[in-house]
Amino acid sequence: MEKELGNAVAERILPPTEQEVSDEIDVKLKKYLRGEGANLEVLKDKKLKGQLSVIEDLYGKSAKAAAKVEKWLMPSEGGYLEAEGLEKTWRIKQETISHEVDILSRRNQHDIILPALGPYSLDYTSNGRYMAIAGRKGHLALVDMKDLNLIKEFQVMETVRDVVFLHNELFFAAAQKKYPYIYNREGTELHCLKEHGSVLRLQFLKNHFLLASINKFGQLHYQDVTTGSMVGSFRTGLGRTDVMQVNPFNGVIATGHSGGSVAMWKPTSSAPLVKMLCHLGPVSALAFHPNGHLMATSGSERKIKLWDLRKFEVLQTLPGHAKTLDFSQKGLLAYGTGSFVQILGDLCGAQNYTRYMAHSMVKGYQIGKILFRPYEDVLGIGHSMGWSSILIPGSGEPNFDTWVANPFETSKQRREKEVRSLLDKLPPETISLNPSKIGTVMAVKKKEKKTKKERDAEEEAAIDAAKGITMKKKTKGRNKPTKREKKKHELIEKAKRPFLHEQIKEEEGLSRKRLRLSEEVELPKSLQRFARKKTVT
Amino acid sequence: MGEVRQKQRQEKEKSIDKKKQSKVFLKKNKSSDKRRLNRRGPQLAPSLQREVGRIKGDIGSDSYEASDCSEGETFPGDVYEYEEAVPEEESRKNRRYDTVDNYEYELPDHFKDEDVFSDDEEIDERDGKGNLTEDSDDADPKKDDDGSHARMLQNITGMPREAFEGKKKNNIVISEAYQESEYNPSRDVLDGNGRISIEDLLNPLQGKPGYSMLRKRTHQTEKKSMALQAPLPKADRERVERKVAYEQSKKEVSKWEPIVKKNREASTLYLGEGVDLGYSTVGAIASEFEPRTVIEKKIASLVHDGKIMEAHKNDGSKLLELNKVSFEDEKDRQNQLAKMRSLLFRHEMKAKHIKKIKSKTYHRLLKKDRVKGASVQIEMDPDAAKELAMKQEFKRAEERMTLKHKNSSRWAKRILSRGLNVQDEGTRAAIAEQLHQHANLTRKMHTLKDSSSSSDESSDEDYSDDQSVDENNSRVSKLLEKAKDKTLKALEDGEEAPNSGLLALPFMVRGMKKREEAAAEEAKLAIQEFESLSKQLNNSETEYINTETTSGRRTFGAMKKSAPEPRKKTKSEYYGDTDGEDDTEAREAVEYDGDNNNSSLFADANIVSDILCEDSKKHQNSVFKSFDETVRDPGPKTTYEVAIFASDRWKKVKNLEKRVDSTTSAIVSSKPNLQGQAPKETMQDVDDQSDSDHELMVEGVLSSANNESYELPSQADLIHEAFAGDDVEEEFERQKEEILNEENPEPEKPVLLPGWGQWTHVQKKKGLPSWMLKEHDLANKKRQEALKNRKDASLKHVIISEKLDKKAEKLYTKTLPFPYTEKDVFEHSIRMPIGPDFNPASAIGALNRPEVVKKSGVIIKPIEFEEVDPYQKVEQHKQNGKKQKRKNSKTKSGKSAKKLKKAGA
Repeated sequence: MEKELGNAVAERILPPTEQEVSDEIDVKLKKYLRGEGANLEVLKDKKLKGQLSVIEDLYGKSAKAAAKVEKWLMPSEGGYLEAEGLEKTWRIKQETISHEVDILSRRNQHDIILPALGPYSLDYTSNGRYMAIAGRKGHLALVDMKDLNLIKEFQVMETVRDVVFLHNELFFAAAQKKYPYIYNREGTELHCLKEHGSVLRLQFLKNHFLLASINKFGQLHYQDVTTGSMVGSFRTGLGRTDVMQVNPFNGVIATGHSGGSVAMWKPTSSAPLVKMLCHLGPVSALAFHPNGHLMATSGSERKIKLWDLRKFEVLQTLPGHAKTLDFSQKGLLAYGTGSFVQILGDLCGAQNYTRYMAHSMVKGYQIGKILFRPYEDVLGIGHSMGWSSILIPGSGEPNFDTWVANPFETSKQRREKEVRSLLDKLPPETISLNPSKIGTVMAVKKKEKKTKKERDAEEEAAIDAAKGITMKKKTKGRNKPTKREKKKHELIEKAKRPFLHEQIKEEEGLSRKRLRLSEEVELPKSLQRFARKKTVT
Repeated sequence: MGEVRQKQRQEKEKSIDKKKQSKVFLKKNKSSDKRRLNRRGPQLAPSLQREVGRIKGDIGSDSYEASDCSEGETFPGDVYEYEEAVPEEESRKNRRYDTVDNYEYELPDHFKDEDVFSDDEEIDERDGKGNLTEDSDDADPKKDDDGSHARMLQNITGMPREAFEGKKKNNIVISEAYQESEYNPSRDVLDGNGRISIEDLLNPLQGKPGYSMLRKRTHQTEKKSMALQAPLPKADRERVERKVAYEQSKKEVSKWEPIVKKNREASTLYLGEGVDLGYSTVGAIASEFEPRTVIEKKIASLVHDGKIMEAHKNDGSKLLELNKVSFEDEKDRQNQLAKMRSLLFRHEMKAKHIKKIKSKTYHRLLKKDRVKGASVQIEMDPDAAKELAMKQEFKRAEERMTLKHKNSSRWAKRILSRGLNVQDEGTRAAIAEQLHQHANLTRKMHTLKDSSSSSDESSDEDYSDDQSVDENNSRVSKLLEKAKDKTLKALEDGEEAPNSGLLALPFMVRGMKKREEAAAEEAKLAIQEFESLSKQLNNSETEYINTETTSGRRTFGAMKKSAPEPRKKTKSEYYGDTDGEDDTEAREAVEYDGDNNNSSLFADANIVSDILCEDSKKHQNSVFKSFDETVRDPGPKTTYEVAIFASDRWKKVKNLEKRVDSTTSAIVSSKPNLQGQAPKETMQDVDDQSDSDHELMVEGVLSSANNESYELPSQADLIHEAFAGDDVEEEFERQKEEILNEENPEPEKPVLLPGWGQWTHVQKKKGLPSWMLKEHDLANKKRQEALKNRKDASLKHVIISEKLDKKAEKLYTKTLPFPYTEKDVFEHSIRMPIGPDFNPASAIGALNRPEVVKKSGVIIKPIEFEEVDPYQKVEQHKQNGKKQKRKNSKTKSGKSAKKLKKAGA
């Protein structure tokens, strides 16, 4: 007690700035501790207790060091728009922003008008440096977003429905008219993935190196891009859809269907992990929060719903129709309809999304896809007349971890990272709803009682095994045929015994139950007076 | 001398006899004393024995020693002496036992012992003497004895004689075996009378240094006068000793306990820490090298030669001089080398040549193979056949020209002139072979002409492409005719029937007839077919070329047709609302062709979508309209305009937009909310305005915009959108029910075997047996429970699959790992990643430190003792451990192989 008091006093004595710092670190410390330590009081094993307490101390130290590192080495904080007085953040236009920001940021506000080959779909690399765009009419291009340099563009002369980067900017896959293809940065066709069929939507799972696709017939395919093997291919059985999104937290793929249902898939099971009825109309768009706990769906009945994926419950229902949805790294939600983009933000941090910004394109531009650029406050919009990019303050993660994604990556670093990520590649079976459960004790399902048939089969097998045992040649009198026969018989009996025991036990249990039941049965009225009276206490 | 020997022998025989009697083999002992010790059974102490002897009353007759010395005889009074009885078998008591031969070794009667002087004999003799002396002693000085004794005592003690007098009275005359001495005290002394006290011993020392101290001590001991207790029995004594030893060793061991505990608790042990390995570079090791063997020394003497060392010191230029080789030597060496090289080269060439030479059989086999291969090739490949034919033709021609093989060679002529019959077998065979070859070559021509029609045909076909059509036809017709003839012949042949034998039997004849009729009919049909075929052939002869070309054209035409067809189809699909999968592509294709007409289509579609999307889509409608307008004016396809809005153009657009905004701001702001129930009229007004605006804008910015349009939702999508939502919920619930049934199947309804118990009507009346119903109920209940335990039990619109993923099973532990007993504790303990990706560099080391840290190549010394505060905390232990650099191992700590260095002492 005294010690605690002493501590409290010491804390009080701290100067205000330090106090602030320690509070801040405490918050981060909690994050890095990843939950609380186990209650060691429960343990009876002293040795284990000692070991665990030592480990727990180490964890604490590590978390504290990490918190300090974060505090001092990742100082940039994401900015956001703040309104003063009667101002509203959603009234602030792009041009007003452009007056305030630096030249480099201003370059991120642009419209590229390519009217011939639209509508455009786009994808960013995980570090946000490169963008791949795909015009519906066969225009594929690769753009370096840092200096807005066109790396390569080419025409495939057929419909391109979607484009997606593989693990880095060197490779990208395009869903074309009949099959998806994989191209390299130079535009050379590397692979034609015929097994996928005519794909409507592509997704790439970075950690598992899986290319997922859904085709016209509602078939879901997973292909390992490192080995080329087809990891899984399933019929969704829910019809044609082009709404598919991967959950960045656990690698589960969600597909939205015309029945208003959203199904979540993993590559190792043909049945969906989760199937939920989200809307009454067809699901038109789907997006996941980077932390994986939040899903946004929009249906054609003009509703946008936010779902808590831990409880599978609706958090919030917003009116509106979205053709495309996307969450930013910092959790802003953008949706596009027609030529209008709306950004919602969780401004108060209570899972309550409200209007944050809005942007309307030139009328007549139909937005096909919106995508936040990672590590930048930029929203990319692919529309019928090309693509645009606007500034959304506070959307991107300000501190990048070069081990995770480096926007200023050199080619050498890229190579290093490729090797690293290949070494760290996760097998497809690690995809599950809650990957943090991996390594824990499997929840043992209560084993059903074996049916009689199974039991019989087992018994027969045991007897056969006993019969099959070859007898050793014994010396002298013990090798007589009678003795051998006897021994064999004994062995068979021995094999039978456990089953008999089991049966007897069961029968006993049944009879006991029967007894209990019979006691409860009321006697006929004439005999009731002979019944044993219960002693009333 | 001889007599003496005889005596000895007699004695020996006697002794042997004695031994026989007692039937005990006595070992030859080195001394009688020893033998006494060897006597079995417990014995009394000699003094006690003596006493006992005296009590028995045979006083004076023979002392203990004397009696003892008589060999073989057992001491009569010895209580403990064990007498071996005669075994019962041997005693033949009651004749209970069979007669047993005595297998014990008996010496034969005529046995002669070797004449060895044994120690025993000597001792015997000596004993004999001793006895003699004793006897004499017994005889004379008995009376003298007392006097002399008193005198002696007087002399020793210096006390008056009277002091010894009293004792004399009860002094019974006892003959002593030995003279009294300090080694052989008299009985008085032993009895306690006339004892020598300490005083007696002390007195003479009086006046010497240290005397007073000695006296004091004696006084002290006398005062206390504690009686010494009898010593404990051995077992007890040992137990006590053990106990003490245990205590001691426990103390010793428990001293180590804190160290052991500390080591056990330490998360990491540092073994062999404080050892300095010193330099271990190659240079360091080499510098200590000393030449030992002869060759090493030789090398060293060369290397460390004064001259060379000096040369090395002086920039090494002198080294070259030392290295000088004479011109002649060098030349010789080079010559030698060149010679060797050339020799090698020649040898190599020879080897190559030899290797290339192949045997006769090899060539023969090769040829055979080639011929075989060629024949196969002919069958497979018409070109090859052609070539071969050409070749053979050439050969034939050559043969005919030269007649090379028709015995025209000089050798053949010579042999023929000498006469064939005179030649040996080989030559004749050779000649025959040659002739045969000639015949072969000339016959080849023969076969080529008309050997077989089929091959002829094929080859003909190959050779003459242009004639092939006619020939083919004629050949076919010929074939047909042949077939016809054959069938006719067969028909005619079939009519003759056997008149005797089995086949002449009536039923057989009938059967035959039937069969014949059937065959005839078949044949007729065949003939008809042949005729029709031949007719066709005739007709086709004229048209042959035409048909061929038409067929080619047909495929081409089909392709052509197929190309426009889908286009039509798509169009029709588009108009006629059919649900086609391909329609989007098709539409795109159409667009790609550059048809500008379909803007009207879009308008239609817009109307449809408007109807579907109801009122709030008004805004989009306007968008579509404007879009259509933009679509209508075509522009260049390939040019596109890039506008980076940092320039002033951006502003322009913005200004335009602003104007739009100013007019429609209210609606625009409400629109994203889509609660927008703004009045319709205003909306429409605004739409009009905005339309005009957009036209402006199109002129301003989008002048290059052409007939492109945004992709409309496909028909399928539209239909889905239109009709979805009516019974989606119901359907979903049905699905969920299905899945639940699949994952937790409903129990089977109890059924009886059909017919079971029905014949008695008892079963019918009773219904199903109660146990069946009970089982069913139980299963049902179980199912309900399972359903209730599902994760999605409370969520109406969610199905969470509970299927086990077999592949993912390996990612989970099946049982708790060993030290853990609580699942919760285990799961918490693994919650933190410990890799370098997730922890700061400062913490990784501690998180991943191994249990034992040691240096390679360092001997780990046994644990040393050090004082440890047992109540210290673990944390401090660790630091201590680091500081002190312990050299101890966990395992060895408890064992005896400890080197003990007391820290304190």
